[in-house]
Amino acid sequence: MRTRATKTQRRKALEGFMFVSPFVVGTLAFFLYPVIFSLYISFGEYTIVKEASTFEFLGWANYLNAFVEDTTFTTIFKTVVTDSLINTPLIVVFSLIIAIFLNKNFPGRGFFRTVYFLPFLLGTGYVMSILLGMDVGEEAMNMARGILLPEGVREYLGTTFTAMVETFLGRITYVFWRSGVPIILFLSGLQNINVSLYESAKVDGATEWEMLWKITLPMVSPIMLLVIVYVVIDSFSDTGNAMVTYFFEQAFRKQDFSYSAAISWIYFAFILLFVGLIFAVMKGFIHSEQSEPRRKKVRT
Amino acid sequence: MSNRIRTTFSVQHFRHKLHELTMESVVLYTFTFVLVIFALLPLVYLINSAFKPLDEILRFPPRFFVRKPTMDNFSNLVVSLSSSTVPFLRYVFNSLVTTIATVAGTVLVCVLGAYGLVIHNPKGSGVIMQVVVAALMFSIYVTQIPNYMVVTGLGMYDSFAALVVPKIAVAYNFFLMERFTREIPNALIEAARIDGAGETHICFKVVMPLLKPAIATLIVLTFISSWNDSFSPLVFLVSQEKKTLPVALSTIAGGVGVSDLGRVGATMAASLITALPTIVVFTAMQSKVMQTMAHSGIK
Repeated sequence: MRTRATKTQRRKALEGFMFVSPFVVGTLAFFLYPVIFSLYISFGEYTIVKEASTFEFLGWANYLNAFVEDTTFTTIFKTVVTDSLINTPLIVVFSLIIAIFLNKNFPGRGFFRTVYFLPFLLGTGYVMSILLGMDVGEEAMNMARGILLPEGVREYLGTTFTAMVETFLGRITYVFWRSGVPIILFLSGLQNINVSLYESAKVDGATEWEMLWKITLPMVSPIMLLVIVYVVIDSFSDTGNAMVTYFFEQAFRKQDFSYSAAISWIYFAFILLFVGLIFAVMKGFIHSEQSEPRRKKVRT
Repeated sequence: MSNRIRTTFSVQHFRHKLHELTMESVVLYTFTFVLVIFALLPLVYLINSAFKPLDEILRFPPRFFVRKPTMDNFSNLVVSLSSSTVPFLRYVFNSLVTTIATVAGTVLVCVLGAYGLVIHNPKGSGVIMQVVVAALMFSIYVTQIPNYMVVTGLGMYDSFAALVVPKIAVAYNFFLMERFTREIPNALIEAARIDGAGETHICFKVVMPLLKPAIATLIVLTFISSWNDSFSPLVFLVSQEKKTLPVALSTIAGGVGVSDLGRVGATMAASLITALPTIVVFTAMQSKVMQTMAHSGIK
């Protein structure tokens, strides 16, 4: 009897592993091996000459060079980090507001959802960089600014203030282009909140504002963590990011694979630290479902 | 003022409520409307430019809306650019084939994997999930160089496989699928097993329909990233006739005759054609994506 149980168990495990194996193989070949390899070559000098590769171990030299010799790296690093620090909270708050709005039941909801996703559809693609490269994107943006801030008003306000408003508008545009996926993630989180929670709160005389702080935000906090992590990683690994462009330049133009690997590891270590910090800080704020039994919803 | 305070509580409350509600919705609608204009602007500009005749494209200062729309840019794209080495439609075909293959592969691998991992829970599944979570935080650019070596080593260099295979087992997609599969109650699977359903049958006929919203999300995200990917074709492909739309776009926009102003219109038309499928796919899938879990009826 016992052997039979383990036999079925083993068969079950084997079957399960068969199902997972395509993914495992893919991950090994295109994630795990490349990661280890890039870590390995970062500690030396890796060169390819006519299909043959040579490797010379140099220790921490590449890592040291990044901070000691390469001035470009540290400058780009600083700008990218400051930019991400400013943009991440903006994107998170903005997409949460939009998601709460889109979660309401009103006519034309589907249309609005598609429209809000448009910048993401266009913005991640080559189309947008073509538009920007040909200055038409800028042209369009100028027109957008013109609509919001007419010429007469601009002249009246003076240049410093106008410049301020324009950086602000530029920021908004950027935030907007990055908010597509966060909005979707928040929406799926919002749809998971049990309606009866709101209903019972309403019966108890809670205002919309109170419900936002006491129900919506705590219930959506696990998704919020996911969104923050997504936004941070997205903004750090965006192709248009100066840092990423710099990696490419080092690797494919200067053929310095090892140095490129080393600086991308420094960068990655920083992201990891940053995300870890977010996890640590957010831990206290997250409403965990695990404290209550799974799939048992609060009913009133 | 004092009069108003003296009115009964419930009436005042009601008035307050009404006032608050309308103000809120008015502000919200205005806010959203402004943002919608912001979001739509690039697309509207793109559509208008694609239909502009040459003299309107070259006009200074540029006009936002098209006056005399023509199809010239599109016919230029298909007819005159076809006389060059690779016809434009070939790029469209390449993009479609690689993207559809990537999407299909991703959905299949992720659904099967998540099913095996969650339902069977084999040994080492904890390790797999740890690797997946670690991979979530990785920027793909860290691994780009070794990735290139793997692709070359497997003999996929300069083939469609190089655009498809590396993108099938992506941690983020797997993670998403795994989360959703966890929501499926075990009792459902047990019931199917008792009824004598085989494992593959359960996976495709019981689990997969329940995962529809997650699959829709996966399709949208994979389609967009694969369709818009301009990096892999640039790195992995040499033959011009195998390249995809994003690369073709850069060729059309910045080819040999950059000064050739006729290209501007063609570029606009090509950009529009490139942008359209992602918009169509998202619009078609968005209601399914949004149903996410509310739909599954198991929560």
